[in-house]
Amino acid sequence: MISRRRLLILAGASAAAAFAGVSPIAGSPEGTSKDPNVPRWAMLVDVDKCTECVKELIKKTGDPHVKPPCVVACDEFNNVPEFEDKKKDPQWMRIAKFSLDKESVEPEEFYMPLLCNHCEHPACAQVCPTKATFQRPDGIVMIDTHRCIGCRYCMIACPYGARSFNFEDPRKGLRHINPEVPTRSRGVVEKCTFCVQIVDEAMERGEAPEPACVKACRLYSKNALVFGNVKDPNSEISKLMRTGYVIQLRPGVGTDPYVFYKFIKERP
Amino acid sequence: MAIEFKKINGDSPGYFAIVLVFAAVVAIGAISYLANHFGNAPDDMSQRVPWGIVNGAIPYYIGLSAGSLILSALAGVFNIKKYKVFSRMAAFLAIAWIVVAILSIVMDIGKPLHLGGATLYFNLTSIFSWNAFLYSSYFVVCAIYLIAMFEDKQTATRILAGVAVFWAVMVHSGTGAIYGYIYSRELYHSVLLPPLFIVCATSSGLGLLMATIYLTFKYTGRKLDPDLVRSLSKVFLGLILILAYFLVDEMFEKGYMPGLQRAIHFVFLDPSQSIFWCFWLLLIVGIGLPAFIVVYPRTGRDLRWLSIGGIIHAAMIYAERFYLIVPGEVFPREYLPGYTMTSLNTLEGSIVSYTPTPIEWAQVIGLFAVGYLIFLIGLKVFAILPEEATEEVIEE
Ligand code: SF4
Ligand code: SF4
Repeated sequence: MISRRRLLILAGASAAAAFAGVSPIAGSPEGTSKDPNVPRWAMLVDVDKCTECVKELIKKTGDPHVKPPCVVACDEFNNVPEFEDKKKDPQWMRIAKFSLDKESVEPEEFYMPLLCNHCEHPACAQVCPTKATFQRPDGIVMIDTHRCIGCRYCMIACPYGARSFNFEDPRKGLRHINPEVPTRSRGVVEKCTFCVQIVDEAMERGEAPEPACVKACRLYSKNALVFGNVKDPNSEISKLMRTGYVIQLRPGVGTDPYVFYKFIKERP
Repeated sequence: MAIEFKKINGDSPGYFAIVLVFAAVVAIGAISYLANHFGNAPDDMSQRVPWGIVNGAIPYYIGLSAGSLILSALAGVFNIKKYKVFSRMAAFLAIAWIVVAILSIVMDIGKPLHLGGATLYFNLTSIFSWNAFLYSSYFVVCAIYLIAMFEDKQTATRILAGVAVFWAVMVHSGTGAIYGYIYSRELYHSVLLPPLFIVCATSSGLGLLMATIYLTFKYTGRKLDPDLVRSLSKVFLGLILILAYFLVDEMFEKGYMPGLQRAIHFVFLDPSQSIFWCFWLLLIVGIGLPAFIVVYPRTGRDLRWLSIGGIIHAAMIYAERFYLIVPGEVFPREYLPGYTMTSLNTLEGSIVSYTPTPIEWAQVIGLFAVGYLIFLIGLKVFAILPEEATEEVIEE
């Protein structure tokens, strides 16, 4: 009797152990490359130009929820779906208005795009239980959607709300599909990849990469976004970083974001 | 005289009726899960509130498990003879609840089918990764501890009881750390959470245990010395008062920071928010009322009242999980601290409400029923119930 009982419990116990986690420790946190030949990708946003663009667009269309060219290009290139229900709608790139509430002064409000910051110390990768979220040596933070279990711990941890969960099958919210970028399925998390397909392809050809949003902004609006390698002091982004007051979002949490915001306003 | 443990016959219509009731609740939960994950049955989670009450089920059931186990094992570690009658029962419940907790994880994640492959990777910096290891090993520790008790191995039981308590504390602190170590959300970030989780676990575990003991003994027609439960209720009282102290301390600490004023107003002072009710009902109904029941002589001596107090508290600890998980998501993070942010195309920057749907509740309650279904079947299969529980018999 006793032995049968013991057998039962032990069988259950070992099944559970096999199921959850008694597994080899694989690898250690990767981190970005120290090799000067490996780029460190970053983005610089000119807040003044961005504000100008969005203000003009809102005025022209009369729509306070208008999507500027960068967001439209991002959605189209990356197969980011569009759903009616804002609560469930995933979004990679977003535009937000910021204002300092000081009624007596009424300082001018400004607009900035928000996207994954491809942090140097990404909180998302730190917490991901399966290493589905990982950082490439060039700084791009990626999600392996085949490994993601959809626990959403990364969404809780990311200080910048950069991640979206696929509550719905995203393919249902797409009007057309860009074959260059894989579509995702229901139940996993997704976010901006700095258009990793464009980056990799450009690198192969030996050209400077230009993500979809950056290109759209240059072609159709104010050229407010610059993408490039900040390890190279002569890259366009590095040069431009030296011409203004550059900030990061929430530097205090120590994630060290690599989307930078430049504040310069032309003197009247 | 040694304590005699026996299986129950489990052939009465009453037993089958109650098993059927729990099975039905489980079935409703399972159907809701399938309809929610694979169909279109709505939940109210959102891009801003990605963790809802099914996620809350994870710490809740781990809490019940850790609480049960700590109570079971403490009797062994400190050799408190009179509580040994409940040791097996509490340890078995601990196993039932950890199974439920692991099931909650499976039900909460978006891709349960990816779990198998996921166990191949371990992320050293992920508390969740560590917890996956802790939860499964904890299950094994509980099981071995229970076997040692079944086999009446005194020394082994005592050592294992010590290991089990340590493991339970690790497991539940780890669970608290999942939330408390989130440095990007002010309303999550708190060093108090791991210890608070331990207190919550033992208080809710004990509350439910008191009721379970009372009801099980009553319906299996066993003798139960009321003083045993009464003395447990004193421990229970101490625990819930410590919990109240932690909660109030945390409230004042957060409230002291001017930068959190809006958030604090939203959580503690705005009756139009469910969070407000969670917190104050937890304090008044979940802690104040049970404390009164234990202290007031009329009710404090009546096992029925004590059971009610225990159940109320255990149920309100669910409100505590809500209060812990939801406000930190609902209240917007400031990407540029101090500036008011309005997003053009998303709900970022504004308070996004979260009201759990019946589909979500059905899953949580279904999980609860799984726990008791395991317990009921356990009563029939294993000898976990003492013949009778009286102080005299045991202290001799
Ligand atoms: S912004 Fe968020 S999602 Fe992107 S790398 Fe940083 S922590 Fe991760
Ligand atoms: S949702 Fe996916 S990517 Fe995010 S932490 Fe969980 S497993 Fe990692």
